Amino acid sequence: MLRLTVVSALRRLLQAGLVVIGATFLLSLLLRLLPVGLEDLYVVGENEASRKAFAHELRLDRDPFTYYVLWLWDFVRGDLGWYVQGGGLSEPVSGRLSRALPVSLQLVFYAQAVSLVVAVPLGIFTALRAGRRSDRALSYGLFTASSIPNFVFGLLMASFFGVTLAWFPPLGYVAPTENLGEHIRSMVLPVAALSFPLIATYTRLLRTDVIATLREDYVTMAVSKGLSTRRILFSHVLRPSSVTLFTSFALNMGALIGGTIVIEQVFTIPGIGQEIGIAIFSRQFFALQSYVALIAVGFIVFNMLADIVVGFVDPRTRERRSA
Amino acid sequence: MSAVMSIRDLVVRFRTPRGVLEAVRGVTLDIPEGASVGIVGESGSGKTVLSRAAMGLLSGSNVDRSGSVTFDGAELVGLPRDHVRQHFGTGIAMIFQDPMTALNPVRRVGVQVAEGLRIRLGMSRKDAAARTSELLAMVGIPDPAAAMRKFPYQLSGGMRQRVMIAIAIACKPKLLFADEPTTALDVTVQAQILELLAGLRANLGMAMVLVTHDLGVVANNTDFVAVMYAGEIVEQAPTTELFANMKMPYTEALLKSIPTVEARPAGRLPVIEGRLPDPTDRPAGCGFAPRCSYAQARCREDHPPLVDAGNGHLYRCWFPLAAPARRS
Amino acid sequence: MRRLLGGMDVFTRACAGWMSLMVLLAVVGPFLPLPDPREADFEASAVGLFSPGHVLGTDSNGYDLLSNVVNGARTSLMIAFVSVVVGGALGAAIGIVSAYRRGRIDRVVNLLFNIVLSIPNLVLGLALVAILATSSDPSVVISPSRRVVVIMIALTCVVLPVLGRIARGATLTWINREFVVAARSMGMRDRHIILRHIVPNVLPAIYSVGFLAVGVVIVAEGALSLLGVGVVDGVSWGAMISRVAGEFTFVPHSMYVPVTVLALTVIASNQLGDYLRSRLDLREGRL
Repeated sequence: MLRLTVVSALRRLLQAGLVVIGATFLLSLLLRLLPVGLEDLYVVGENEASRKAFAHELRLDRDPFTYYVLWLWDFVRGDLGWYVQGGGLSEPVSGRLSRALPVSLQLVFYAQAVSLVVAVPLGIFTALRAGRRSDRALSYGLFTASSIPNFVFGLLMASFFGVTLAWFPPLGYVAPTENLGEHIRSMVLPVAALSFPLIATYTRLLRTDVIATLREDYVTMAVSKGLSTRRILFSHVLRPSSVTLFTSFALNMGALIGGTIVIEQVFTIPGIGQEIGIAIFSRQFFALQSYVALIAVGFIVFNMLADIVVGFVDPRTRERRSA
Repeated sequence: MSAVMSIRDLVVRFRTPRGVLEAVRGVTLDIPEGASVGIVGESGSGKTVLSRAAMGLLSGSNVDRSGSVTFDGAELVGLPRDHVRQHFGTGIAMIFQDPMTALNPVRRVGVQVAEGLRIRLGMSRKDAAARTSELLAMVGIPDPAAAMRKFPYQLSGGMRQRVMIAIAIACKPKLLFADEPTTALDVTVQAQILELLAGLRANLGMAMVLVTHDLGVVANNTDFVAVMYAGEIVEQAPTTELFANMKMPYTEALLKSIPTVEARPAGRLPVIEGRLPDPTDRPAGCGFAPRCSYAQARCREDHPPLVDAGNGHLYRCWFPLAAPARRS
Repeated sequence: MRRLLGGMDVFTRACAGWMSLMVLLAVVGPFLPLPDPREADFEASAVGLFSPGHVLGTDSNGYDLLSNVVNGARTSLMIAFVSVVVGGALGAAIGIVSAYRRGRIDRVVNLLFNIVLSIPNLVLGLALVAILATSSDPSVVISPSRRVVVIMIALTCVVLPVLGRIARGATLTWINREFVVAARSMGMRDRHIILRHIVPNVLPAIYSVGFLAVGVVIVAEGALSLLGVGVVDGVSWGAMISRVAGEFTFVPHSMYVPVTVLALTVIASNQLGDYLRSRLDLREGRL
């Protein structure tokens, strides 16, 4: 049993590794899709020799495969490439990344935490009240809220709570080490914007699953044992009902990294999203490659974790997978 | 012999989009202490709803229950959920048809058995584990220590049903509802489980309500039988009396539809033609009349009352079969 | 068709109605008597709703919002339509054939889909647009029409593996059904089996996910614009949002209008996709 779990986990790991390599290779190939030679973007002037030397330094004279292998080796060792300026290297990507990444991660974790804290009780509560007349309106409401893109919420809230009512700063970021109170105030609107569709999604998923679980015989069985409603909810209903929620939670970890990009732009928060924006505008394609590769790796890792966590939450899937 | 549970005029209605569905229509039944009572009927006859309603397991805003159910002298109908719960496990317990769906798939077997002991009897973790192991041995599980660590899906159907029985008897209930406990199992396993239940009943002195569609199972395992049709009890009697002196054509039809080893191989198994009346639109007369080969005009117009034939034998028929019942 | 409409409740009908209206506007937009979306009315900049000559008002540049919404529908819906249809057709073809062939090809295709899907769709779209919309000469600005084409290509790449995987999964469930096995055992050609037996059964799933993909693409177009790589100087909903994103402090309604239209359209296409899916589940259930 345990050995099967380990084997299937290893197989997942191998698969994830393959996807990471495939995705990063694809991204490094993308650079070759540029309508112009990369070195031409950075070297001004007609000096052929210096152009060649620069191309060599950037490994652009290598074939795509060798280029990728060298890039991967650097990437694994933590060398994420350089910003390039005027025919020379200006600044390592890792330096800017180490400032931007924590900010983005804060956003993602706050948003996920807020979403779960609100959605779990809401999902259970609405599931227990299922079958009423207001149900249909509720499920359409949740559906609608989960369909609205987060930047729409972001813009609306920045305008209303940030400008019209001026309760919270509509733009900007304050680090928690700088001023904790202001940090929280500056994060309220962006986190709310990211959380809103998530809350609706999570509530919907949990509600549907709890309703289905409540119809199961083993819940009736638990009632016939004489257990209290609260005990039945927490030890019999919640766990089997949370598989979809967990999966979606982990998938959204990755999707949120994409989602924060826009929200960071809307609220001018100096996270990865803004770095990506800057990289695009200043044509820092090496930096862009590293950022996107990093996001893809994060996404893949979270998906894998989701699979493993689901295996623990629902032992049935473990057998299905090893079978 | 006093009754451990008395059901009086129990009515269960479901409010559905198609109209009100009366699943149980005024059932009165006593379950004597330590006795085994069979409730028989085809699927849809209301026998499962009756057993769940008697226990108070039907929940939902669209269910109405009226009448009276007393357990150990205490009225259960109209009692707040939390008070009814005090009887569950320690007083009344239930086992279900499909042990696959009735055991929580994500929790280990040992935890599920021990849960009742810990919470209802307040046992310590250690005592509960020891008792769980005893219980699993008692229901005939070969290696209790190993079984406790397994998940339900890792056990066979028969073993799962044994686990469920262990859960139900964990707190020594006075009354056990067994809802089609053998239907999902192989024939050979069925017999073992029924034997196990009979043994446990004798050991623990508990009463049992055996809900089934199979008169054969009832004949060998019960002291009293109630035959249900369309939400009503149409015949009830001590088991020996019922099989010796059958009054209802429906009971006879049920009996005839059981396959037996002696049945001629070439002969066709008799089936009960037609189907149960629409529960949202019951006919005026006897519910079985449209399918009954003895039915006459009166059967379709007037609803037959429950008639007492003596010896605790009640039936609901205008034209009862002559005694003794003709068995084919 | 009538059967599909018959089962709709009020909400779904409203969504279908809104979607039809948007498609209609996208088609007839240029023929409506509206101001030029790119022509600033300096006399009436930043005027509110129901102003004379500007039903939905104007933004701070004096651009007519109604005209931009109507003509923007053309661009935004065209991007959505083209990328979903092209991406869906290619994805479905690849997915169906690879699932039908099984074996090594299928494993490679599946891995490729997983690889592309492992990059969050907005990030992938962003990277593709950033790279494809780079001009060789930094001083030459890329025209909006070329940007539209680039965005379509990028979003097609985003949609392709999503629908490809759906098609592959659906094909795998149909391929072992008796009628397919029967057709094979009668010696029918693979092409015939795929076209006659598999495609008709896989298509419904593609349609329903296709509607969801329309929503994804519309959102992506808006998001790309906000990030500054959308149809920046053109006429689209995303472009409208990106123009006001920095200045809604002064003219909030010029942001509310495009944001509402975009959100409603996304809700509508998601609901239609969801409705189709539930109808299809029902049909599956009746089989």
